[in-house]
This record gives sequence, structure tokens and C-alpha cells, in this order.
Amino acid sequence: MSHGRLSRFLRQRLLFLAAGNIALLVVIATLMKQGGSFAEVLARCGPNIAPVVLAGLGMTGIICTGAIDLSIASIIVVAGTVFGILVHHHAPPPVCFIACVATAWLLSMANGWLVRALKVPAIIITLAGLALYRGLALIAADVAIPNFGGSLSVPEEVYHTPGKVFAGGMLLLTLAVALVWEWFAKTPRHWLALGSSEEACRLLGLAPGRILQSAFGVGGLFLGLGALIYVTQIQFIEPARMALGFELQVIGAVILGGTNIFGGEGGYAGTVLGALFLYFTAQVMTYAGISPYFQDAIAGAVIIGVIGMDCALHRKEKLLEELA
Amino acid sequence: MKKWMLLLILLVEVAFFTAVSGQSFHSGAELAGYFRSYFADLLCQSAPVLLVAFGMTLVLMTAGIDLSAGSMVALIACVLSSFPSGPGFWWTAVPVGLALALLLGATNGALIAWLDVPPIIATLGTMIFYRGLCFVVMGDLEKSPFLAVPGYEWLGQLGGAGLLVALVFILGGMGFNRSRWRREVLMLGGNRVAARYAGISVGRRIVEVYALMGLLAFLAALTFTARNSSVSASSLTGFELQVIVAVVLGGTRVQGGGGSLLGTFFGVLIIAVMDEGLRGAARWGEEHLPFKISHLEYVLLGTLLVAGVWLNSNLTPRRRQSGSD
Repeated sequence: MSHGRLSRFLRQRLLFLAAGNIALLVVIATLMKQGGSFAEVLARCGPNIAPVVLAGLGMTGIICTGAIDLSIASIIVVAGTVFGILVHHHAPPPVCFIACVATAWLLSMANGWLVRALKVPAIIITLAGLALYRGLALIAADVAIPNFGGSLSVPEEVYHTPGKVFAGGMLLLTLAVALVWEWFAKTPRHWLALGSSEEACRLLGLAPGRILQSAFGVGGLFLGLGALIYVTQIQFIEPARMALGFELQVIGAVILGGTNIFGGEGGYAGTVLGALFLYFTAQVMTYAGISPYFQDAIAGAVIIGVIGMDCALHRKEKLLEELA
Repeated sequence: MKKWMLLLILLVEVAFFTAVSGQSFHSGAELAGYFRSYFADLLCQSAPVLLVAFGMTLVLMTAGIDLSAGSMVALIACVLSSFPSGPGFWWTAVPVGLALALLLGATNGALIAWLDVPPIIATLGTMIFYRGLCFVVMGDLEKSPFLAVPGYEWLGQLGGAGLLVALVFILGGMGFNRSRWRREVLMLGGNRVAARYAGISVGRRIVEVYALMGLLAFLAALTFTARNSSVSASSLTGFELQVIVAVVLGGTRVQGGGGSLLGTFFGVLIIAVMDEGLRGAARWGEEHLPFKISHLEYVLLGTLLVAGVWLNSNLTPRRRQSGSD
């Protein structure tokens, strides 16, 4: 690992998460009762975390530029609704799958375009999108399906193949491509540059608007894949209730992975490890027999604890930077 | 955006929805009576949002944000609801709720000020944490001890809720607008480093602002439980979004260093009128539209937010925008 590539902070965070994940796995292995197979836990991990990880990869790029997308859950809802409507009208599976991914990509692009065109902070645009897209999904379902009762069922197994059969494989393949691309391509470095200083970018002759758009574009592709897996794992698509709070899980994983919320620092590897950390923490709680009522509180406390400790450790550096 | 534009939007909305709802008036007195009950109802209904929006305006002024507001109100309400009802409620549950509220708010503030966690991250974490605690306290139950407490119902009616809102907005707002504290809060929102060099105890001010948010969340929990009479662990999800949309619509900038309490007041009412209006227009919608009109609310909320912010940043004179970063 070359030293110029990752900041000391990121390296420390990756090491901490890797060690933490291994520790959590050891705890899971010791907590497991007779008859449970550890290999099965690992095999189940892929499909379970695929939506969060894929959406998280997209979010990482967007946050690296200093923007954020709070509307991803609603985008998944729209993609799911489009998918459900097409299934309802008996479209062939490939058409449904492609439409699902394309919808997510288009909405993500729309977010990027709106941020650029209106010059309004991304957090506001996507906060609006959070409400707006869910509303659009509900209206689309009302209009396209007679007597829509709030839920679309997808009974045929063939429509569930991406989520139930290929999820793990798709995740691994996408991850490999993403990590290699991040290492060699220029675009992710442009995102970091934009997140560090928009002014410096402009002076260097880079177009900040186009860089931002590319982050939302690539993010949209990852989100599209994540949405496809999310949507095809569930039996019922309920636009009003589906994926509530999903964006928090994703942002939690991204931030835990060491990506700076203000942009300019971060990477895909951290996000993957962060998502795994949150997932394994939840698994440990399940295996330890902790009441499900306590699980959210503990998950929240873990996020606050890890990030709080980390920020406190870097406080002195930040204060010194302020003086410079 | 100018305040009169917000007022204009509000009036147009009220006129439009009154016309759509199919009310007919035969005399001026009837009209006055209708609007009196309409606004009384509106005020009671939106009292929790108004109270929390007051705090959120101050939080946004410090260049922070509080995503945990909804969870905080819910948690306080949940804790209140686990006390036995009866006259004793006033001197057991209420002080405990108040102390808890200040603690929750100050926790947010401490994370942000003393551990240097970015506000959006800190409150995102506490949002999940506080909501988790709601489930720890309540499980799957829905409790409603509130209406058996003597005098509690008054808090949800125009007398109590209206009085609280008036006290907070008129007295609190006036006191705030004249205070040195306000200038310090605005300055640290505008430029934290400069504020530190100017001798403002930045950390303390931030903790104070978030603790105040806790206090307002407590008042909101009182009015909410008095009006809705029951609470469960998943009450008030999405509440913070409603509050933030209202505050931003009212002209407060998310980048900090500026904002208006009067704008916030109008912002909340604009959304409340829309909410009420769409509910009133449900029948008209069923006959004329191919979709449920209530779904339109999400779309309008999003559009309003973007339009409001866009107008805000494009209609404000240039000199007030400089130094925003």
C-alpha cells in the first residue's frame, strides 16, 4: 500500500474496522450454538448486506465531493414501484430489472443536475427528494394499477433471481470492479479534489459541476444495483413503508468507514468494512440473545461511540490546523 | 425571501383550500367563526412542530442541524407515558421528563462541541440511539395515561398549547432578538474560528443551544401527548423532516449565521395549512383525480422546500450572501 494514497487517518480507520470485524466474527463463532454452521453465516452475509454496501459505494463517491444524498431510500422506492408496476403488467423479467436500475440511475442523475442548476446545497435538494420521490412513487402506483391497495406483490420466483440467487456474486463482482477502478481511474480522485476545495479545482482547470455530476452518475449506477437486489429480495413492494431509514444505515456505514462527511477524504474499502461492522454487530446481538428492542439503541450507541471517540482523538490536530 | 411573501403564500393557500373544501358562508359572522375555529385547530395541531421549529432555527443558525428532534420528542413522550396517571403525574413524570429532555439535548451539544463530531453525524447517531431507547422503554405497547391526569388535556387545547407557543415565540423570540447571546450564536454559526478568537465560548454556546432544543422538545412532547392522548415507540417518525422543511422554507439558511424566527413561524403554518387543506379536499380528489390526494402532499412538500430555498438564495441581496462559506 503506497503511503501517499491513503491518509494516516484512513489507514488507522481501516485497520480498526478490519480488526473489529475479525473480533466480531470470533465472538459470533463462540456464541453460535451446536448445529449452526459458521460457513453459512458467512454465506448469508453477502446477500444480506448487498443493498447497503452497493448503495454505500455510491454514497461514498457523493460524500467525497462534499455533497450528500438523503433521498436514496425514496429512489429505491420509486425503482421498486416501477419494477412492481411492470411485473403487474407481466413484462418479461429482464425488462423489469433494467427498468429498475435505470430508474434509480435517472433519479440520482436528476439530483446531481438539480444541485448544479439551482445552486442549492445537496442536503436540501435531496431532503426535498426524500419526500418528493416517495410521493411520486405512490402516485405512479395509484395511476398505473387499478384498485391499488398500498402493496404490490411479486409472486413469481423468476422475478426474485437477482436478489435471491445472484446477490452475493453480484456484490463480489461489483466490489472487485469498484476497488480496481478506484485505484486506477482519475474520476474518484477528482471527487476527492472537489471535496477538498472547489476553488482549487476550478483554478486547476477542472469543471466542478461535471465532477459533481459524475459522482451522482456513478453513485446512481451503484444505487441502481443495490435497489435491484433490495427490491427482488422482498415479496411485497409497499411504496409508503418500504426502505424507511435506509439512508441512515447507508450513511452510517459510509461515515464509520472513515469517509469525511464534509468531503475530500474517503474510499470504497472503508465503506465495505463499515457496513460489515454494523452488520456483524447486529448479528452478535442476535446470537447473544439480546432482545430485539435493545438492538437499535445499541447500534446507535455503537455509531456514536466509534465516531465520537475518533473525532475526539483528532480534535487536537484539527485545532492546530485551525491555527495554521 | 421576504416575510410578506411567506404571508402571501399562506393567505393564498388558506383561500384556495377554503374554496376547494366547499364551505359556503352566508354572513360575515359565520365566516369569522369558521376562521376562528380553523386557526385555533391549526395552532393546536401544529404546536409541537412550532415549538421544535423554534429550537431548530437556533440550531441551524449555529451551522448545525438536529436530526434527532423527532426521536427526542418521542422518547420524552414515551418516558412520560410510563408513569402512572393521576394528580401525582405532575410532580413525578413532568420533572423527570424535563430533566431527561435537557440531558438528551445537552448530550447532542456535548458530542458536537466537546468531541467535535459534525452535527449531522452526531444527531444522526443520537436519532437512531434515542429511537432505540423508545423501543427499550415501550416495547410494542401503546400507552395512554395522559387524559386521566387532571388538567393535562388543557395542554392540547387552544388555552394551553396556544399559550405555550405564544410564550415561546413572543417572549422568547423578543428576548432572543435583543440578546447578546443571539449575536454570539449567529457569529459562531457564521465563522466558528473567528468567534473563538473574538472571545466567545463557542463550546458552551453550542451546548446551550442544543439543551434549549431539548427543553423545547419537552414542551412539544407535552402538547403532542395532550392532543393525541397516546404514544408508542414509533410515534413521530419523520417529524424532524417536517420541522427542517418548515424552518428552511421560512428563510433560515442551512449554512448557518442567519435566520428568522418569524419566518419559521410562517413556514410551519404554510405546511400545516397544506396538510389540513389536502385532508379537507379528500372527497374532491376522489372524484377528480386518479390518485389519492394525500400522496400529493409529499410532492408538494418537496417542491415547496426546493422552491423556497431557491427563492431565498436568489432573491436575497448579494451582500448578505457573501461570506457564506
